[in-house]
Amino acid sequence: MKKLIQFKNIVKNFDGTLVLKGINLDIYENEFVTLLGPSGCGKTTLLRILGGFLEPDEGTVLMDGEDISHLPPYKRDLNTVFQKYALFPHMNVFDNVAFGLNIKKEPKDIINQKVMRMLRLVGLEDYAKRGITEMSGGQQQRVAIARALVNEPKVLLLDEPLSALDAKLRKEMQRELKKIQQEVGITFIFVTHDQEEALTMSDKIVVMKDGEIQQIGTPTDIYNEPANRFVANFIGESNIIDGIMVEDFKVKFEDKVFDCVDAGFSKDEPVEVVIRPEDLDIVGPRNGKLRGIVKSVLFKGVHYETIVETSQGTSITVKMTVSEDKPVVNSEAGEMMSANDFYLDILDIDELTENFIISRADAQAWNPETSERISIYEVRHEIQKEKGSYPVTFSTSAGTTVTVNAIVAEINKVVDEEYGEEIYAVNFFKKVDEIQESLILDTDLKIWANAYAYDLEEKTAVEITEVEYDFDPQNIQPGVYDVTFKTEGYEYKVDTTDKAEVGASVGLKFGPEDLHIMRKQ
Amino acid sequence: MKRENRAFSHVYMVLLVIFFYAPIVYTIVFSFNAGRSLTRFEGVSFQWYAKMFKDSNMMQAMMYTILIAVLATVISTVVGTFTSIGLSRSNKIMKNIVEQINDLPLMNPDIVTAIGLLMLFSAVHVKKGFGTMLIAHIMFCIPYVMLSIAPKLKGLDPNLCDAAMDLGATPIQALFKVIVPQIMPGIVSGALIAFTMSFDDFVISYFVTGNGVSNISILVYTMSKRVNPSINALSTLIIVIISVFLLLVNVVPSIIGKKKAKRA
Amino acid sequence: MKQFRKMTYPYVLWISIMVVAPMLLILLYAFTKEGNSVTDFLFTFNNFKRFFVDSVFVEVLLRSLRVALVTTILCILLGYPAAYYIAKCSEGLKMRWVLVITFPTWINMLVRTYAWMGILQDDGIINKFLGLFGIQATLLHTEFAVVLGMIYNFLPFMILQIYTALTKMDGSLLEAAADLGANRTKAFMRITLPLSLPGVISGITLVFLPAVSSFFVPKLLGGGQYVMVGNLIESQFLTSGDWNFGSAISLIMVIIIMISMYITRKVDKTEVMEKRA
Repeated sequence: MKKLIQFKNIVKNFDGTLVLKGINLDIYENEFVTLLGPSGCGKTTLLRILGGFLEPDEGTVLMDGEDISHLPPYKRDLNTVFQKYALFPHMNVFDNVAFGLNIKKEPKDIINQKVMRMLRLVGLEDYAKRGITEMSGGQQQRVAIARALVNEPKVLLLDEPLSALDAKLRKEMQRELKKIQQEVGITFIFVTHDQEEALTMSDKIVVMKDGEIQQIGTPTDIYNEPANRFVANFIGESNIIDGIMVEDFKVKFEDKVFDCVDAGFSKDEPVEVVIRPEDLDIVGPRNGKLRGIVKSVLFKGVHYETIVETSQGTSITVKMTVSEDKPVVNSEAGEMMSANDFYLDILDIDELTENFIISRADAQAWNPETSERISIYEVRHEIQKEKGSYPVTFSTSAGTTVTVNAIVAEINKVVDEEYGEEIYAVNFFKKVDEIQESLILDTDLKIWANAYAYDLEEKTAVEITEVEYDFDPQNIQPGVYDVTFKTEGYEYKVDTTDKAEVGASVGLKFGPEDLHIMRKQ
Repeated sequence: MKRENRAFSHVYMVLLVIFFYAPIVYTIVFSFNAGRSLTRFEGVSFQWYAKMFKDSNMMQAMMYTILIAVLATVISTVVGTFTSIGLSRSNKIMKNIVEQINDLPLMNPDIVTAIGLLMLFSAVHVKKGFGTMLIAHIMFCIPYVMLSIAPKLKGLDPNLCDAAMDLGATPIQALFKVIVPQIMPGIVSGALIAFTMSFDDFVISYFVTGNGVSNISILVYTMSKRVNPSINALSTLIIVIISVFLLLVNVVPSIIGKKKAKRA
Repeated sequence: MKQFRKMTYPYVLWISIMVVAPMLLILLYAFTKEGNSVTDFLFTFNNFKRFFVDSVFVEVLLRSLRVALVTTILCILLGYPAAYYIAKCSEGLKMRWVLVITFPTWINMLVRTYAWMGILQDDGIINKFLGLFGIQATLLHTEFAVVLGMIYNFLPFMILQIYTALTKMDGSLLEAAADLGANRTKAFMRITLPLSLPGVISGITLVFLPAVSSFFVPKLLGGGQYVMVGNLIESQFLTSGDWNFGSAISLIMVIIIMISMYITRKVDKTEVMEKRA
């Protein structure tokens, strides 16, 4: 096959941000090529450079070996189907399709012939006189394709042409587009962020991210042999696990060594292991290569998406002291007020504000008759940056006061080296009725315990996915209770046809060919 | 209670309509008055219309008003359209500068614009008359045209122009075959606003004219010192012209639209 | 399509000459002495001094501000209910009402104001009506007539501005307010009114500005003795030929307008902020 288009080291800047960082790409004749990537990856920019709507800052675009980098769009032998079709609303279907031929001043009868032939190709021969606005999204899409193809370009560029259609129509158009491409036999360059679209239609997929090409290959190559974590995640669903390549054909993860089919890594090289959800099977707990507990099951139509946790995440347990203290009543002012003792991290002291103290102590004042809240007027305290117990007095402007203890303690945290996570929480005091009245107890417990988890490497917050306790919130008695906060552990997504029970202990089975090993980046 | 409220608001709106239309009706009625009085109706006659058509001042003012309105509309619409299109492709700084300066005649009291132009014309020793009045009208019409086109350009799919060029159109072809037809409604309404602005203008025309050239507004202003029922006749004529004009503008497009719909 | 940018250049030249230059001329004349040629300017503040020292001029200025202020307030009071009424109508009625309100504005202002001269005369239709109750009033050539004429000319602008702001409002906001427990009055005060304030503000601009500078309404309905700032400027330019003084008066007027617009916008902003807080 012949090279039709060559991008050579294309660089493009927009207001100082590099959108394309030196793209090299060859496109052959009669290929259906898809540029795939998330929004902002530069795929549309690359297409617009080829279309002539943008000029590259560096590099050249060759078509049939000729440099076309600086040719205006109307001198290029290619046509575009635009994102929202960009049909001319003031013309009917026929005139839209005939636009390019009219510009070239072709004879009327030839125009008529060509346009009707194209409309027939896209199945719209009966709609020639229709106004554009009277056409449905799918029909407009076909008009846009006909309008481009009627000019007999060597290459058709399609800029996310299906993104405005609903799911069912999109499937239909995917098939149709592929059919049209095979019929007219020219190169299609298709831009999309939809991996499924790319897999269905393309001969060749170019995966892009942040202005760089990640991988070029056939759909099966890219699905089965993703070059890196990004591609594996972007194309299809995958479980990606950190591992170590012990030797050729042997990979270690979750402290076990498994056979695999990959080789050529250095000894003990850290790698990433990709396992597709459909390659995993759920078996009895003793029959699998890994053991875990079923955390959730979602029905997806053809299959169940089952999440199996093989090891737990980082967790921390704190003490909750529950009391039955009654609120202070100030009958003169007609006010009631309550607050509880509270713990403070020694590090919190530096940034202590009144609002923070009020929220930690959960200090509130209200009018018992109307139950309207009254704002707290004053907070008096002498908290020092030293371990110990300090009195804190809250008062309203009407003179109702409550005094509680603030206990300053060392930071309570758990660091998990394996996950690279740390989790914080503090002991806390609560009243019976506050627990009973909470509508969102898990969230309230996180707030009361000031629970947070961080990723140590990326310095970002990690979600606390589980809050565990063993009391009945509605019938809780005064006393001391344990509350445990947990982050997510190692979880595997498994596609199964049988429904597993949530909470069941299961085994996970896979073969050596189901593991794909990637170099760490 | 609610019904009473509703009734009250209906009455209020009726009173408002009477307030707005009473002077117009009054003018029309008294243009047919047989007597000279502006307050006593003494029977129907067409004498003031006859007088008006014989009055060369009035006829000349009418002619100047229409001529200037037509010329100012055409020129300001053409200039405003192309400037707006150019501006929509320009950078922010350029856009800001032009928009800010365009705002000046819109935000300034007319009288300030008027004396500014008066001083400008005398500074460059241009003789005041038809020419200065036309230039002044073009000057204050263009911002209205641009204001009416700008939203249409903003709503334009930015890919349309690219699409035209992709299909082989040169930039000029794209401009006339795609952009201009697309923003046509904005251009038409801009032209309409320009026309009525010019047709009705008094303050600016009053200051920049000379050499015996006056439009209807100036004529009414200078003649209002004496009772002259011909003014009522002239006013009625203007009311009729504007009404027919507005009717055409509002009704004709919808009729054309219906016909098109039938054919399709 | 960068090549289209060039289409802007001629207009930039045009507005520099036709808009910017006249403004500079006003500035120049306001600060220079009468009678000098273009080549040698004598800068002076005398034009301004003259205006503020003479109580007659200050009185005219205060009168103009009073009339414009009264007109603006009355336009808001009269226009808001009308705009609200129209905004509550069905879609088809809305368009018809807008047409009814705008139609008179398309007809020459002079012509419409002239009609009021007949209506307001001592033996005019209003006095004939009042005569039925044994009342006689001098209406023409009073401040009442001037304010009436201005309201008549400018009220449609106020109605349209408020109406536009009201229709732009998302109807579901009121439903949300009702859902959150606001009754009709509260919903109006907390949602509709603050959201329509921008319309009121632009309405104020469209009424106050022409009202304060108007000179044919006072001339026609206020009579020759009733002088507002506009008339003062007119006479400086067209009768006495003192362009320097006329420019200074215009400048004073523009500055006052700018200050009042600034204050209105500021009030609007702080009010919105307070509502949010």
